[in-house]
Amino acid sequence: MMKKTLKRKIPKLIGLLLTIFSFIIIFTPILVIIVLSVNASTKGYSWEGFTLKWYVELFQNDVMKEPIINTLVIAFSSTIIATVLGTIFAIGINALEKKKRVQMMVINNVPVVNPDIVTGISLMIVFSLLSFTLGYYTVLIAHVFFSIPYVVLSVMPRLKKLDPNLYEAGLDLGCSRISGIFRVIIPNISTGILSGALMAFTMSIDDFIITYFTSGAEYMNVSTWLYATLSRGRSFTPAAYAYNIIIFAVTIAIILFVNLKRDRKEKTV
Amino acid sequence: MRRLRPYSLPYLLWMGVFILIPTLILIVLGFSNLQLYNLGVFEITLVNFTIFIQDQVVSALWNSLVYSIITTVICFIIGYPVAYYLSTLSDKKRKILLAMMIVPLWSNMLLRIIAWEKLFMPTSIISDLFGISFDLLGTPTGVLIGMVAMYLPFMVFPIFSVLEKMDYKLIEAAKDLGASDLQTFVKVTFPLSSGGVISGVIMTMLPAMTSFVLPARIGLGKINLIGNIIESKFMKEVLGSSGASINQGALISLLLMVLSVISFVLITRVDKEGETLI
Repeated sequence: MMKKTLKRKIPKLIGLLLTIFSFIIIFTPILVIIVLSVNASTKGYSWEGFTLKWYVELFQNDVMKEPIINTLVIAFSSTIIATVLGTIFAIGINALEKKKRVQMMVINNVPVVNPDIVTGISLMIVFSLLSFTLGYYTVLIAHVFFSIPYVVLSVMPRLKKLDPNLYEAGLDLGCSRISGIFRVIIPNISTGILSGALMAFTMSIDDFIITYFTSGAEYMNVSTWLYATLSRGRSFTPAAYAYNIIIFAVTIAIILFVNLKRDRKEKTV
Repeated sequence: MRRLRPYSLPYLLWMGVFILIPTLILIVLGFSNLQLYNLGVFEITLVNFTIFIQDQVVSALWNSLVYSIITTVICFIIGYPVAYYLSTLSDKKRKILLAMMIVPLWSNMLLRIIAWEKLFMPTSIISDLFGISFDLLGTPTGVLIGMVAMYLPFMVFPIFSVLEKMDYKLIEAAKDLGASDLQTFVKVTFPLSSGGVISGVIMTMLPAMTSFVLPARIGLGKINLIGNIIESKFMKEVLGSSGASINQGALISLLLMVLSVISFVLITRVDKEGETLI
């Protein structure tokens, strides 16, 4: 008997150890960033005491101001646009007959599976064909482009659960096509829309590769600014770490808040 | 709902513009002397294929293959047991641990790479505080550790999502019929999770193969992958690099696209509507 329980426990123990190991390697860079954001050293080779000065400098540093503003503007605007468009497209796709719906979902997933570098180059080519000057608008379009598929993917499961007769009933009771969407469909898929929006936002705010290929030499977000600084062989201010930790903490707080609220709502219902 | 169908049409057009058109252009660029920034008459030629005999490109192709395969194998060996372990936990623990695995992805990718770079320097914070020096910059080990840490979650998520939805009655049935734990796993659990494994392998391998910042920073530019070649061929204006040739870059990008199409077909087979992708 003893032997049998031991035999059962070994796989479980291996699973546990590997899980711990995974968390260690996944969190190592995060810890390093946290440490560097409160380290007095500018270069980050050594520990020179605790400080919060980088968090203060973040709001005073003129070099970082522009990339930060660009990042936030792009993240907010692309999230709003991608969420609206993605939801409309998902509603349309869901209404299709099964075969066409599957085909549309396959197309939808192309940018999800495609490596970012391929997406980035593809967008760059389209922009050059249209003779768009690379900058704010091209980055915005690019972010909307890579975000929409994720919005569609997170709205779709909710739409599938929705009884199609509800919408028809709404129309019979006098809703117009549009008001039926707002009164019947949207309230039922709102959690999907919200998680799609959050996903779009978190991806836009940290994107590097696609922005890099679509932004040209002048327009920079934080990631491309960091890369450009490093490529020139210069080092950047540790305020960048502070920036990342703030964004990181705010993201966690928002997502935690949304999830807790949702859980509570589901419990009371 | 039928009358809502037209809402999907603009999406088809949108995807056509951003996926189909650039793919066609890449094909033309790769097989001709068309100039992207000076469109005009062009001739079909195979001259761009000469990049495949350049040492630099050959070694980048080789590196991409080797590094992405090793990364994927390590991620699978670690990731499968982790996904399995997570799926056996109680609902609450499972939720928390899964969330903890997603959280690090919300930190800037570039800074996470820089964090590894700082850690792997001969004199780092770690060596200052604890006296341990990793000194892994510019080494294959350093690049591989960085890649595994970066892409491991993408292996765990799809496998986990398949295992989580699996019907436990099947496992019980196997055991009732006399299968041992190992037999149950090999004959029932693993085959049922193969869809997640395929998604996981692709979602790890493609990004690893095409990464270019990670090898550039942690590998100190000594270890180049295809991504680095594509970057140098395409970013003429930004980088001002002399060897830039968009047509050659297009050819390498096409190679990547072929790989991505293969992956795509595989994923679509196991998961038609992309439910394991998020």
